[in-house]
Amino acid sequence: MSKQRSKNYKQRIDTAIATPKLQEALHRFADAYVIARQNAFAGLDFEQLRTDIAASKDEVRNHHPQYLDEFTKNAQAAGATVYYARTADDANAYIADLAKARGVKLAVKSKSMASEEIHLNKALEKAGVQALETDLGEWIIQLAGQKPSHMVMPAIHMFKEEVAELFSKVTGNQEPAEIEHLVRVAREQLRQGYLDAQMGITGANIAVAETGGLALVTNEGNARLVATLPKIHVALVGIEKLVPKLEDAARIIQVLPKNATGQLLTSYVTWITGAVPCLDADKELHIVLLDNGRSALAASPHCKDALRCIKCGACANVCPVYQTVGGHVFGHIYISAIGIILTAFFHGLDEAAELVRACIGCRSCVAVCPSNIDLESIILHLRETVGDEEGIGAGKNLMFRKIMRNRTLFHTLIRAASLLQKPVTGGERTIRHLPLFFSSLTAWRTLPAIADKPLRATFAKLPQKVEKPRYKIAFFAGCANDFLYPELGGDLVTVLNKLGVAVSFPAEQNCCGIPALYSGDRETAVELAQQNVAAMLSDNPDYVLTTCPTCSMALQRDFVDHLRDNPVWAEKAEHLAAITMDACKFIADVLQAGDAFADGAAVGSVTYHDSCHLKRGAGVWEQPRSLLAAAGHEMVEMAHADRCCGFGGSYSFTSHPAIARNIMADKLADIENSGAACVAMDCPGCLLQIRGGLEKQDSKVRAAHTIELLAERLRGGQ
Amino acid sequence: MSEDQNVDQFIAAAVRVGASVHRCDAITTAIVYIASHAGGAILLPTFPSGERRSLATLLRQAGLEVISGDLRPAAATAAAGVTGANFALADTGSVVLESTAEDIRLATTLPERHFVLLDPRKIIADGAAAVPWLRKFHARSPRHFLAYITGPSRTADIERVLTIGVHGPKELHILLVEGWSDDFLEV
Repeated sequence: MSKQRSKNYKQRIDTAIATPKLQEALHRFADAYVIARQNAFAGLDFEQLRTDIAASKDEVRNHHPQYLDEFTKNAQAAGATVYYARTADDANAYIADLAKARGVKLAVKSKSMASEEIHLNKALEKAGVQALETDLGEWIIQLAGQKPSHMVMPAIHMFKEEVAELFSKVTGNQEPAEIEHLVRVAREQLRQGYLDAQMGITGANIAVAETGGLALVTNEGNARLVATLPKIHVALVGIEKLVPKLEDAARIIQVLPKNATGQLLTSYVTWITGAVPCLDADKELHIVLLDNGRSALAASPHCKDALRCIKCGACANVCPVYQTVGGHVFGHIYISAIGIILTAFFHGLDEAAELVRACIGCRSCVAVCPSNIDLESIILHLRETVGDEEGIGAGKNLMFRKIMRNRTLFHTLIRAASLLQKPVTGGERTIRHLPLFFSSLTAWRTLPAIADKPLRATFAKLPQKVEKPRYKIAFFAGCANDFLYPELGGDLVTVLNKLGVAVSFPAEQNCCGIPALYSGDRETAVELAQQNVAAMLSDNPDYVLTTCPTCSMALQRDFVDHLRDNPVWAEKAEHLAAITMDACKFIADVLQAGDAFADGAAVGSVTYHDSCHLKRGAGVWEQPRSLLAAAGHEMVEMAHADRCCGFGGSYSFTSHPAIARNIMADKLADIENSGAACVAMDCPGCLLQIRGGLEKQDSKVRAAHTIELLAERLRGGQ
Repeated sequence: MSEDQNVDQFIAAAVRVGASVHRCDAITTAIVYIASHAGGAILLPTFPSGERRSLATLLRQAGLEVISGDLRPAAATAAAGVTGANFALADTGSVVLESTAEDIRLATTLPERHFVLLDPRKIIADGAAAVPWLRKFHARSPRHFLAYITGPSRTADIERVLTIGVHGPKELHILLVEGWSDDFLEV
């Protein structure tokens, strides 16, 4: 692991966090985006649309030579020159040589992320050609000498005062920091460029194999000018932009603006097919098809879906990490979730390594991706790759490989820790302060103490009163329920027994493996998967229940994946996945037992926090709300209920506590603003984070697990 | 969806994105409108519906300075451009212009105002319904430049504040002229 690189990266994070103005702007933008997007998709079936987009992109990926050939032939037949650039250098050399050969002094450009990707402007400059960006945002960052911080809105990180200063240098006047005026300045300043330039350079959003044509989706109108006025038009197009048919293109055009900015359609959609008239001749159209790592991405079994990306930027818009640190920190050229993956393949693993670890894994990007890319899973895979290449750090290595895989040792050490913590807990259940170099861990949240007796030691003594059980379930507690919140096991038994269900606790269960996996240690995760599949199926239960959605994801998704190629374990893992579910889902959907909690008495108001892995992993969000409402709680929705709380497991302890703390602060504000007396959730990780944060700021709001609240109702207490 | 519903949806969507839409019972009404909104010289490219109805003459009779023929020299300074449209999309309020001829592009990209004469019979449901027409354009000529135009030019690149008219036209005026042309393959 490159320690210096990590240190530098953390410094950049700290600098970004110390600039709250940018954070506020990105938060405001995110709020407006969610509403605009929702309105734009009203009456449309987003799930169907994204399934269809993914299918057409996969079709091209799976038959790439055929579609590339079809596109090239059609484009050539229409008078275009098509060049396949294998690398960034190839593309730069082709365009720079062309410019030199034609005596080009000035090239006007419309926005092209591919040109940012290959640093085309630098290559042109070296060839003595001035490249003038005409997209307003791109021009601003060109003047500032910066990189884009968002794929769709490249200058989203800048404020009008900074823009006014940049423009003043260009005009030589003191330009007022008034947006309408600044836009007028840009119009006037850039106008002559279109008329003078000998070459226009654009990107393309879509390349249609059927016609050999390109489609450009834009708002400002500069791409139309760039493609119209100069005699030479160069279109730089990533090969992933290919689609088979016009219908596929129409679908992307239908979805892209809605998902990017919440617009029904951009001001301009421009279809350019072949060399069209220009002055008294035909235009010289060059289409540069850019590979630069895309073929390698297409060949990667775990990452290939990333090639479906239509570059809408939505994964940034909804990302809590992006909102906290901005695109310059959470990105390279391409930013946010998709940016991590593209950076790894286009610019190398070293550029991507820090970004890979900066993702908190909340899956909010996955929910809005218009191409149905499981971004989180791909990032997770890349984290494994970085772990393999660079190591995961000596501490984590010892913890995961030598300790966790040996359950008895692991659990013995946790028990030992529960004794060692006595001096700081003073026997209390909560740690408010830690001494010395551990003090930062409790600077912004309290931490739960390790319980005197874990659930595994007390479970057998819990009285269970079920005469003829309707179902036998095995409880997968996960480390947090087992060692930090063992009483939750008792609560689950109370609730399920009342509903006629018997609960067992298979003693051989171990950590679900997520902490190892998320740290890039897949080998340990696979070992733990085997141990847990064996343990959880040992009593042949009807269902396996969890009270931790991250564990659920391990049991339902990861174990199957880890053991897929193992003939002994694959089928068992599939079976375990099929019978595993979250406790609330079981109570609401299988038992349909909401009425059991109603006793008529009104209890306090509750707001519900959606845990990332419960809502976007397991698709469970209605069930706990309906159960709590049935139990007499007055349900109050907080703003951003399904936004990450900033826990992220080791993310908030070791990887990026500074980001985690900021994301938590947003969540606590939303909870307080809801006015509810209690915040409920179904994840012990969220509980650790939110309860710890509330306690640290002496909040009156109580944080509780849904099962805990349901058990209280049955016991008749509050 | 019926033709009338398409028209209503088109008007609502186009107005929502900042276009001005006016129903004109005859071309004379449209000419009067253009004359009062043009703000200076007009670029008039050659297109079939305009030729057939002697649009240049009508505009000149209304006292407008009309530039036709070679548009390049005057394109950067003209106040407005006037074109027909091939057809339009109801769901997004977009007009579709086959802009292969360079003059159509000059008249619709450089001036601050763009007037579009659109026969309401040419309004279809959405982008998916446009695909068969795109294919017909392609069959007619493999070289073509098509534009979907939805409202005026816009940007939100400074502090995400929506601002109109950054590089393209600041005003888009759509004049719905009954009986102007029902041919989707002509502007």
